[in-house]
Amino acid sequence: MQAPIKSTQKYGIGKLWGIFGGVLFIYLFLGFMVIPCFNTLTSVFRETDAAGNPDPFAVIRFFFAGNMPQFLLNSIKLAVCLVITVNVVGISIVLLTEYFDIKGAKILRLGYMTTLIYSGVALVTGYQFLYDPNGLMTKWLADVFPGINKQWFTGFNAVLFTMTFACTSNHALFLRNAIRGIDYNTVEAARNLGARPFKVLWKVVMPTLLPTLFSLTVMTFITGLCAMSAPTLLGYNSINPEIVRLAGSSVADEAFPQARAALLSVILAMCTIVLLLTLNHYESKGHYLSVSKTKAKLVKQKIQNPVANVLVHIYAYVLFIIYMTPVVMIILFSFQNWGNVRNKTLDFSSWTLSNYFGNQDYVYQNWKGKEMVSRGAISGVFGNEKTVGGIRLSFIMSAIAAALACVIVVVAVNYIFKHKKKKRGRVVEACMLFPWLLPTILICYSYRTFFNGNVFYVFGQNLYMKENVRILIVIAYMVVKLPFAVRMIKAAFYAIDEELEDAARNLGASQVVTFLRVKLPIVLPSVLAVFALNFNALFSEYDMGATFKKAEGTTYAMVIQSMCEDEGRNNVNMNASGRRCASTVFIMIISGLILYLVYGVGSRDLGERLAIRDRRKKKLQSIKQKLGFSAAAEGKLPAGDGGSSCE
Amino acid sequence: MIKLTDIVVKFGDFEALHNINVHVKEGEFFTFLGPSGCGKTTTLRTITGFIEPVSGTVQMQGKDITHVPIEKRNIGIVFQSYALFPTMTVRDNIAFGLKIKKMKKDEIDRKVTTIARKVDLTDEQLAKAVSQLSGGQQQRVAIARALVTEPAIICMDEPLSNLDAKLRVNLRNELKKMQREFGITTIYVTHDQEEALTLSDRIAVFNKGYIEQIGKPNEVYNHSQTEFVANFIGDINKLGDEIIGKMSLAPGKAHYIRLERVGVRAAGEEKKTSGNAAEIPGVIESQEYYGLFIKYTIQAAGQTLKAVEKNDGINIYEPGDQVILRIDPADIMSY
Repeated sequence: MQAPIKSTQKYGIGKLWGIFGGVLFIYLFLGFMVIPCFNTLTSVFRETDAAGNPDPFAVIRFFFAGNMPQFLLNSIKLAVCLVITVNVVGISIVLLTEYFDIKGAKILRLGYMTTLIYSGVALVTGYQFLYDPNGLMTKWLADVFPGINKQWFTGFNAVLFTMTFACTSNHALFLRNAIRGIDYNTVEAARNLGARPFKVLWKVVMPTLLPTLFSLTVMTFITGLCAMSAPTLLGYNSINPEIVRLAGSSVADEAFPQARAALLSVILAMCTIVLLLTLNHYESKGHYLSVSKTKAKLVKQKIQNPVANVLVHIYAYVLFIIYMTPVVMIILFSFQNWGNVRNKTLDFSSWTLSNYFGNQDYVYQNWKGKEMVSRGAISGVFGNEKTVGGIRLSFIMSAIAAALACVIVVVAVNYIFKHKKKKRGRVVEACMLFPWLLPTILICYSYRTFFNGNVFYVFGQNLYMKENVRILIVIAYMVVKLPFAVRMIKAAFYAIDEELEDAARNLGASQVVTFLRVKLPIVLPSVLAVFALNFNALFSEYDMGATFKKAEGTTYAMVIQSMCEDEGRNNVNMNASGRRCASTVFIMIISGLILYLVYGVGSRDLGERLAIRDRRKKKLQSIKQKLGFSAAAEGKLPAGDGGSSCE
Repeated sequence: MIKLTDIVVKFGDFEALHNINVHVKEGEFFTFLGPSGCGKTTTLRTITGFIEPVSGTVQMQGKDITHVPIEKRNIGIVFQSYALFPTMTVRDNIAFGLKIKKMKKDEIDRKVTTIARKVDLTDEQLAKAVSQLSGGQQQRVAIARALVTEPAIICMDEPLSNLDAKLRVNLRNELKKMQREFGITTIYVTHDQEEALTLSDRIAVFNKGYIEQIGKPNEVYNHSQTEFVANFIGDINKLGDEIIGKMSLAPGKAHYIRLERVGVRAAGEEKKTSGNAAEIPGVIESQEYYGLFIKYTIQAAGQTLKAVEKNDGINIYEPGDQVILRIDPADIMSY
């Protein structure tokens, strides 16, 4: 929309497109970012007293008089604790797989990386399944250590434990990259000067990781502050679950719930803004998180002290077990019948696919002893109409939102790069990054309240009403994913050598052709990666859907969740928990596939792809020779090119 | 062929080029030489159209092209980084310009194959990705891509600077050979004076946005017009007051002599030629042995002088040896 402004400025149509793009951008930014959020902010001050007179500070007074600060304090407590535990575990898993020579590091790494494909509500329920008072692990632990408190996995403890292991994904990605970027010669130099491995770690390696760790710490703090699924499901009174509760509450039950929800989200936003500005200031000094390819390989350090070596190995495998148990158990239980899942007992003699594809009736006797049939009460992820509907809705909404985000960001980033030294370039970039400053929940809450009424600039429609809510969810999905897309795609644009553009122009290509044929192919792998990662995150997303809380916008994760809450009630949804396991496995497969495509196949450049094709060709030829095909016949066989279609 | 008249380029308040006047002739190998930041690349980019001058004109074959868009100029470029498109094969890279011109496919194929032969690229290499080629091969692709559209002129912006020393010398010779074969007018930008001297028909020496001198390699080297040129090109001795006095050179001016013009002979050895050359006794301070020649650092007349002698295998002086230096006033350049 905005990219070709300059190139076609001489022609009337180009200028029109430019104006159209600019107007659209301003419309979207004001209409779906500034106005709804501003409305939330002002709603805090719009309350009236009993006599109907305006009382702008009623909510503030209420805040200080009641228990509301407790929610904020709880959130801060969680965030502070998480910073400590996540850093300890996150640094551990990276050092154990990248720095120390640990036996089986590759398998360990796979285990530690499971959070990349297994997160959010699926992970929380997985942990709950294992550790709640009737959970498998709790029972097992109680058998081994009889004195154990079976109730340990509730409230704060449960949230902290779960999130500690759930939030190490960023460490696994960014810290790993940072440690791989260390110049191994510095480690060798330190060893040569007489330092032992732990000393080298402390004095040479850690200082180079500090910038990355700082960024990760800020991100972890924000994650803790904005935690949603874990506190909601495990029962901890932090800010976000309270905002959702208040948003759905009514004046009949309590004092101005909506305004209080708004106040809480504004407080949350202020905390996030302060933290992100700190991070931004820090990053502007050149400390970026990056996942660039690095060639310098660190040689792993052997721990010479045998006792320390054994202890570190034990620690590594205990962490591995904590990471892997939920995953393995979920997979196993997804193939168990509903009775076993509910009783949390593994029956190795009977397996079933009913949680995936089943659609069986449940036969029971009612209180009169009469035999009754509940149709389709035992049904799988792909056999249950509601779940399939949820999958379809989530799939379509996520795909549209992810695609829209990519298109908008590519056009915007191209514009930003063209005007990077001018004010308008920076303004567009700032607008695109703006949603990052606001907690997801604030954006969703603002949409929910502001668009629940006829808004003139969306053609007088109520976007929260009935099916319209789906449009609203798609926009929210897209807006929330913009900052991530901007950061990633901008990094990709940086990789375009400016001389390439000059070269294409010099060879006669116009700006539009240069963009389409030279620049876009270069950034395309990153754009597709961003699309895939955003889609992945949105497809199994729970927090935003839950904030909108609307029947017509019931996403996949919400369907699965709500069915579990109704499990067995009125003799329907008999296998909801089993279905949830199967659904989690399904999401893990999709996420794994996407990550493989993005980081495995997608990161190969043309040279690597051609080299792989050549190797495949040669292999095919040698096989053919072994099978006795003659060289002459080989020329006629198209099989040699067959490999290329698989690329 | 190409003529720059009174070109002025500004970046904000900074004037990068002040009144540049250059006239490159048909078929000429013309080099812009100078230290980094002197304006040579800016001048080149003005010719190709990436930069629009504040004032002055660019003419090509008699036509004013100052405001002609980049893509309409028909000037080929080989970039410092080669700027090969990483998402395309070698063949697609070379064919890019032809495809933009919407040429027929078989004609494109024919042209690409022909140019590939000329720059020594095999069919196998054409099918490869750019990243699979070596630096030298990539450079040939860049040249082929620039030449295939048959531009009137080709510009090269430090095309050898990304290569290692040995390859640089090899490709330098190849470049010159290719230029002769194609007979194409070439504008070459470099900061390497050796490259400039060996390749060029004529050289323009740039400094701080001005052209200090335009001339053939020999003129620029042996008859440097300015003190900057004398210092920038080749190694040179600045003569001290004692020698200036002894040779009765104009006081208040700077006097220079090239290393190879300073004669060295052993103190006891007889004078070979007469004339009005000055004879100055000195002591060898150190010796750098290059094989082909030997470079001496000598203390004489209260200053350090450097001299280069061909390695004849007989007259090799060691530090501490007494020598006589011979300086001919005709070899002195004064500013």
